[in-house]
Amino acid sequence: MGEVGLSAYLMVGAVLFVCGVVCMATKRNGIGVLMGVELVLNGANVNFVAFSRYTSLGLDGQTTALFVIVLAAAEAAVALAIALNFYNNHLTIDVDRGNELQG
Amino acid sequence: MIEQLLFYVFAILTCGGAIAVVATQNVVRMAFWLVVSLGSVAALFFLLHADFLGAAQLLIYVGGTVVLLVFGVMLTASGPYTTIKTSPAEGIIGAAVGVMLLMVLVSSIGNVDWIAISGRLPSSPESPSAADATRKAHAEESLVNSGSTKALSEFNANQQQGRTVRQLGLSFLGLRPDRNLKEGGANGLAPGYFLPFEIVSVHLLVVLIGAAYLARAKRRAVSEDRVSLD
Amino acid sequence: MPETGDILMFLLTAAWLLPLAGFVVEIYWLCFSHRLNKGAAYCAVACIGLGFLCSFSALMYWGFDTKWAALSEPAHHGHDTAHDAGRTEGGHEHDAHAANTEHADHAEHPDALTKKYYTGTYYELARFGALRVSLDWYIDSLTLVMFTMVTFIATCIHIFAIGYMHDELTEEYEDHEVHLHNGGHFSRPGRFHRFFAYLSLFSFSMLGIVLSGNIFQVFIFWELVGLSSYLLIGFYIERKSASTAANKAFIMNRVGDFGFLIGMMILWTSFGTFQFGDRTDGAHTEAGLFTMVRGQDGKLDVSEDGKQVYLQDAHGHRAEKNGQPLTISYMLLVAAGLGVFAGSIGKSAQFPLQTWLPDAMEGPTPVSALVHSATMVAAGVYLAARFYPVFTPEVLLGIAYIGCITLFIAATIALVVTDIKRVLAYSTISQLGYMMLAIGVAGWGAALFHLVTHAFFKSLMFLCSGSVIAGCHHVQDMSRMGGLRHKMKITAYTMLVGVIAIAGLAIPGTSIGLSGFYSKDAIVASALAYSELNPGHILLFIAPLVTAGITSFYMFRLWFLTFAGAPRDAHVYDHCHENPSIMTTPLLVLAVLAAGCAWGGEGGPLYRLIADSETVPAVARVASVGAAKVILPSHQGHESDVHHVHSTAGMLALISAIIGMSLAYLIYVKKTIDANQIRKQFSGVYDFLVDKWRFDSLYEAMFVAPVHIISAWCVSFDKGVLDPILHSAASLTVLTSKWDRAFDETFVDGLVNLVGTVTYNVGNSLKVIQTGRLRQYVMWIAVGVIVLFGALVTTIPK
Repeated sequence: MGEVGLSAYLMVGAVLFVCGVVCMATKRNGIGVLMGVELVLNGANVNFVAFSRYTSLGLDGQTTALFVIVLAAAEAAVALAIALNFYNNHLTIDVDRGNELQG
Repeated sequence: MIEQLLFYVFAILTCGGAIAVVATQNVVRMAFWLVVSLGSVAALFFLLHADFLGAAQLLIYVGGTVVLLVFGVMLTASGPYTTIKTSPAEGIIGAAVGVMLLMVLVSSIGNVDWIAISGRLPSSPESPSAADATRKAHAEESLVNSGSTKALSEFNANQQQGRTVRQLGLSFLGLRPDRNLKEGGANGLAPGYFLPFEIVSVHLLVVLIGAAYLARAKRRAVSEDRVSLD
Repeated sequence: MPETGDILMFLLTAAWLLPLAGFVVEIYWLCFSHRLNKGAAYCAVACIGLGFLCSFSALMYWGFDTKWAALSEPAHHGHDTAHDAGRTEGGHEHDAHAANTEHADHAEHPDALTKKYYTGTYYELARFGALRVSLDWYIDSLTLVMFTMVTFIATCIHIFAIGYMHDELTEEYEDHEVHLHNGGHFSRPGRFHRFFAYLSLFSFSMLGIVLSGNIFQVFIFWELVGLSSYLLIGFYIERKSASTAANKAFIMNRVGDFGFLIGMMILWTSFGTFQFGDRTDGAHTEAGLFTMVRGQDGKLDVSEDGKQVYLQDAHGHRAEKNGQPLTISYMLLVAAGLGVFAGSIGKSAQFPLQTWLPDAMEGPTPVSALVHSATMVAAGVYLAARFYPVFTPEVLLGIAYIGCITLFIAATIALVVTDIKRVLAYSTISQLGYMMLAIGVAGWGAALFHLVTHAFFKSLMFLCSGSVIAGCHHVQDMSRMGGLRHKMKITAYTMLVGVIAIAGLAIPGTSIGLSGFYSKDAIVASALAYSELNPGHILLFIAPLVTAGITSFYMFRLWFLTFAGAPRDAHVYDHCHENPSIMTTPLLVLAVLAAGCAWGGEGGPLYRLIADSETVPAVARVASVGAAKVILPSHQGHESDVHHVHSTAGMLALISAIIGMSLAYLIYVKKTIDANQIRKQFSGVYDFLVDKWRFDSLYEAMFVAPVHIISAWCVSFDKGVLDPILHSAASLTVLTSKWDRAFDETFVDGLVNLVGTVTYNVGNSLKVIQTGRLRQYVMWIAVGVIVLFGALVTTIPK
């Protein structure tokens, strides 16, 4: 086990990101999609903080991560409201039912 | 050593939680695995000396967002045990694409010289590869140059280990104790986060109102329908 | 206290504009009433009647304002100066001339210096350099008399027309003169209101001529009169004869008006003004036409070589401009006079243009009475009289001969005509010829005297003939009448009054007669005086004298054929009846005036009133200096040339008239002489007269036929040359357009449609990608990232 470096954290971020994307792509449950989004954001956050620690980015990375957390919370609130409306309209949370934008 | 150990533990927890979220079909369990994953991320933040951020991660994500999602699950559940299944073919395709994406990311992580890139940042006095050495050299240099720079370097050196609450707070007020801003030719206040902070505050307020508006109850018609369906 | 001129102006303007208001109301009558309503007629009568009251009160006011000075004995070399000066105190131009009365050169003729007219401007239309085109008024005793006469006769005729046009008061008027192809008659809605609208328009135009203060304004109303005449002659427009007659009248008048226009242009270029009278503009007095030509003493100021006429300014001097005396070429002045007189020839149906008037009898009889005997045709005489100061002796000689020829020709044609209205029409032409002759022989007063008396008795006779026609159900041929006096007493005896008046009969040995006697007497006397002074022109006396007899003959022939003897057509006689009082009352009123209006002859009020306006007083003989060596007789005062021969002339005319009457009596009542035998013996002459001296055939050959030939040639040119060019151009255009259309439809449209189709198809195929499925999109994003990365790795060299 060598010293934990920047790349290790980046790897963790990448795994989180890929898991989030796959989650978004496979979950039919709307809440699951939201969870995928959260995972993607967290992957990015891990990267930001890792760069903050190991490069000259300094506090800029942490501040950005902080904003991301805050915006993610806001996004979660709005997305949940949208999900509720979706549910009210379709009586289900299955996102495959919401294909009104089909061309 | 303990730091390395802790990293591996939490890295595995993080990745495992995330994969479990993908793999699980039940929404409530997905939420649980999400909590695990996000909590581990918070631990990773602590390991990265970002103590305030880790706390915020725990408070906002684990304590707020996930609870919100669980509420969402509760409000949108059609029945007590309904799970919306994904077809296996889709799962396989998703997994394949995910693996390919991961390979792309990993290859780019491995192939990019991150230190060289970060050297292009403005006023980057530290070389990440030899952080301590440069930090010392920088301190000596600044000692010669001026008293204030010297104090700043010492501050940096002393405060480097984890306590970032004060620094974040100052940066939100427009002060940057971790940077020698004079070198960049700026006036010393420019890269603060005062204005973004205010914008985010207002943004949060708007989101709060918007969410409340979107999710407001139009229950009568729906409930009547349900009654009639029953 | 307003000035006299202004009061007269207000009254006459009211009389002038009232018929216009009536016209506007009547022409839109159907907008607020219906066809069967007689209100239009009452409106017209009210307008013209009020106009008469205004005119008459203007005449009275003028008379009292001047203390009836005009009615006293004519001024003898200045005895009446005080009167004249007092009379014109209110006149606009008085001050400027009062200062000049002391002028030594003109002291002999002080009464000629005082102005006897009032003039002013209503509205200035435009100004071209020195020329002003404006609406003016010009009032003297002649204007007043004409206004009173015209409005009075018009009122009578309007009232008569209410009865005469009664059968137009219907929704379905059947015109028996118009035969349709199916053998039936044309029928149309009645035009009662329209008839009265036209009459009102005519009255307005006629009064406009009389009131006009400049030659241009005269021309405007001259044309309006022509228009009303056209509308009234063509009132029964569906009848071919009526529309042809209307066209004929209009075109004939155009010929005369062409001369009128030329005269106007000459006057404009030479004088720079259209004004009749002098115009005072502050301290400056601008001389009018009459003053410019005649100066203050009524004499032409001709240069010694006889080629130039010096123009006069308002103060009795030669007019100057930039130090040079203003002159007009003598021949140009003659041409101007002839031009203006050409207008009169057209309007008054004088010799070369006389053929339209008999045809104009196609109009309803009240129109014939008002327009074609009493007023409109008199407008020509009126114009000639107004322009008397501008006429040189040569022009006057021409006028005299034109009148002489006309009166003889028309009278001879009237001998053989059997249509009752046409007899009167030819008699009108003949009498107008008398008036022109009188003007030509310097009998200015006599001409206008005859104009007024003729207006009365001729309108009376026309109304009588209208009454006969209405009573006999539109039979106009005298050969089918006879003995009607038993059935139409009022008509017959009022007609007799008119006949006696026009024949100029009087009680032999005395000078008591009807109006025509006095006026014709005056004309014949003027002619005799003229021919005594100018023995070369004896014809100017003989022709009117002989024609007086002919006039008497054909007028009594008319009366005997119509009213005396035995009925020739039992059907007509049985069905005829006397007309209602609305038609006979005007006859009685007019009969009284026709008999008595000239009371006193040349010493009577009417003649004095008219003669008061004489712009060029002919108190002494005037010897002409121009090309024509003529001497104009003097005719004012007891020592004048005319007075000298008055009794001789009167006696001769009376003898002539009595001979004519006796002949008519012998032929048509006693039948001691057989009319048919005479007709056979003089068949050549008879045919010639029936053909109206062949004027119509002559004009047909001279003008109509050449025009037809030229028109035919033009038509063939149009059809043979112009039409093919146009057609080929058109077909070429069509061809080009067709090619253009094909190009547009295939190429341009195809291009546009291709773009549209391609866009549509691309969109349609791309539509498949838009599945609307959220997860698929995420998947594609991920795949896209991978593909992009792969492309990056493979393409960028390490």
